[in-house]
Amino acid sequence: MSFLRLSTLGISLLLAASVSQSLAQTAHAQETSSTVTFNRDIAPIIFHSCSTCHRPGEAAPFSLLNYLDVRKHAHQIADVTRSRTMPPWLPEPQKLKFADELRLSNAEIDMIQRWVDQGEIEGNPADLPPKPEFVEGWRLGKPDMILTATKPLVLPPQGTDTYWNFIFRVPIEGTKWVKAVEIRPGDKQYVHHANILVDREGSSRKREKELGAGFGGMEIRIESQVFDPDSHLLFWKPGTVPYVEPDGMALRLDKGTDLILNTHLQPSGKPEVIRPSIGLYFTPHPATKLPMLLQLEDDVKLDIPAGDKAFVVSDQFTLPVDVELLAIYPHAHYLGKDIQAHAILADGTRETLIHIPDWNLNWQAVYRYAEPVLLPKGTTVSLQYTYDNSDGNPLNPNHPPIEVKGGNRSTDEMCHLWLQVLPVNFDPAKGDPRMVLQEALARHDVENNPGDFEAHYNLAAMLQAKKEFEGAITEYLEAVKLRPQDAAGNNALGGALVAAGHPEQAAEYLQEALKVRPDYFDAHYNLGFALADQNDFAGSAAQFQAALQLQPRDAAVEANLGAALAEMGRLPEAKAHFEHALQLDPNQPIAKENLREIEKEMTAK
Amino acid sequence: MQWGKLQFRMMPVLLLFVSSALLAQEGVVDLGGRAANPFTASSGKAVVLVFLRRDCPVSGRYAPLIQQISKRYADRVNFWLIYPDKSETAQAIRKSVSDFGYEIPVLRDPEHSLVKLSRVQITPEVGVFDRNQRLVYDGRIDNWYVDLFHPRPAPTTHELEDAIEAVLSDQPVARNEVRGVGCYISDLE
Repeated sequence: MSFLRLSTLGISLLLAASVSQSLAQTAHAQETSSTVTFNRDIAPIIFHSCSTCHRPGEAAPFSLLNYLDVRKHAHQIADVTRSRTMPPWLPEPQKLKFADELRLSNAEIDMIQRWVDQGEIEGNPADLPPKPEFVEGWRLGKPDMILTATKPLVLPPQGTDTYWNFIFRVPIEGTKWVKAVEIRPGDKQYVHHANILVDREGSSRKREKELGAGFGGMEIRIESQVFDPDSHLLFWKPGTVPYVEPDGMALRLDKGTDLILNTHLQPSGKPEVIRPSIGLYFTPHPATKLPMLLQLEDDVKLDIPAGDKAFVVSDQFTLPVDVELLAIYPHAHYLGKDIQAHAILADGTRETLIHIPDWNLNWQAVYRYAEPVLLPKGTTVSLQYTYDNSDGNPLNPNHPPIEVKGGNRSTDEMCHLWLQVLPVNFDPAKGDPRMVLQEALARHDVENNPGDFEAHYNLAAMLQAKKEFEGAITEYLEAVKLRPQDAAGNNALGGALVAAGHPEQAAEYLQEALKVRPDYFDAHYNLGFALADQNDFAGSAAQFQAALQLQPRDAAVEANLGAALAEMGRLPEAKAHFEHALQLDPNQPIAKENLREIEKEMTAK
Repeated sequence: MQWGKLQFRMMPVLLLFVSSALLAQEGVVDLGGRAANPFTASSGKAVVLVFLRRDCPVSGRYAPLIQQISKRYADRVNFWLIYPDKSETAQAIRKSVSDFGYEIPVLRDPEHSLVKLSRVQITPEVGVFDRNQRLVYDGRIDNWYVDLFHPRPAPTTHELEDAIEAVLSDQPVARNEVRGVGCYISDLE
């Protein structure tokens, strides 16, 4: 069994800030004088809302740290604050507050306009507030572990935006708990945003042409063998300050876990060398609260006619358990215009979760709520995204417009909404509430998109996790019908058939999986089982051998290969494999038990 | 009375012709600090002045395109990169020009003589002059940027190339000015 996640994912962590101080100062200024000066009126706004990024080494293209800096860009600052394109903050004001909102007040914006109109007066040096102090380098101090990309990416000077994935292998021997992750994406001026996906099974490694080279594209497909849903939105955009999780909310990292850093890069006009690094901050406190990411996606509904100015996609999902909503991350591409999500409570109350009236892919972000938002069971989360596929949308990748469908290329469209939720008020004896959520979401997806491979696949994986094999097989069959050539689909179906006691049927699908992907470890492994179940031990041993070639240090494969050889009467060879399995994992149960048996039998002979 | 009026109207026109060459020299220097005049150095050819700010990311992103266009017309048009920021050092400009791979001669215009002559307001914008040193186009290179934060996937108009083509074939330029998107030159005063 494995769960598939197809995504361009992200994390959360925003700017630290408090608007109150600068508001108080601007109000004071208005009372005392109609002449606006830099030192008294403008510096507080700039230091608070601009300098975090506009300083050396940060993402913004020039510094705004003193009078001369600001004067050199005064008209530009007046323009971009008036249009509210700077500081970058896409959501409209709403009742449910976001943490670290980076939005200027109307009074602050007016103040800047007046300052420029009056000729950019510097003012009394005594009025100048102290220069803002910033932590240089790692924001949270030296990380407990720093991972740096093995191979840098050379970004060409020209061309369209690039999406590149760096794989970081986390060199830990046991489980570690991570309270914060700091992403340093390389030269910040050219990285638009970056996010980390946790790949617990090395499923992205095969996409690298050489070790450490990374791979291109927006599509990342992560498989996992057990129910272990994504829990954290690990996101970087310019200005991001790493978010430190409270005790009990740490992210789990195990031995062998890879972190995939998905970056969106924009050429600068000259070649740029991009070499990101990641800082991990550990905590001794294991997770006691288990949040999960709910991904509402409606890409299948995206079939936007050429020229359509307002193509609307809407969707609704009703929560089967009480949750606290912690963060939200909407995602669309260049045609996305208006993005809205609401919560409709059981009593009909409607609350805006987010509203972005003028979507801009380049400034996408994770938005964390100032306080967790309780959404009781029965609450419906509804999303409504509007797309503009007309020639009037200057960002339209196609000129003249053409029909656009859902997909992972930047010229395709997307309709995704991630919610980071923490299940609350549940009875742990009644099972894992995340599974209830995931199953409800999987059923919702299948209902919504009967033609969607991933929807059937993920529902099947959920059912299999609950040991509902017949239900799982039905869904896997639907998935494989939709994509007969999909190796993961065929393998999963085969695995479920083995588990349900149908090894003959299983072998057929597993062989299909291996036809498509001959180096598919899981399929060799599963086929080894299926053949052993049919007493074809020679065939079984051959499959385990093949699996072993792919992963020579897998104790379970060694043990199973030993078992197949033992069944064939090749006891000394079997013994060697059991022993090797125990070298790799002293607790390998099959190897332990079989080695005892085989030693008894060999002594008896 | 009528004579007086006529003379009054004639004067500025005459002045403009005279002033172009004069203004072009005022404060304009090469990176070695020597006085320079892009027009006398380009005699007989059309001239394109490309105005850049080193701290303007839009300027930077245009570098490959500017380089490509200048190469294509190298035999018939003289291109000059003009840096109007008086606080920039020649050394910093030299490094930037080399980082971006420009092979175009560079001038500094700290007094904004060339800015005024070309009527540009933004970086990157261009002034296109015909063989007789007459300004025939000023403004953006193309419509790549809708605003500072919205570059199109690719430009759909190409004002600079259209102006050059017109000048080279002695045709009138369709639009004499279209403002660019980028950074204000006036903020440098």
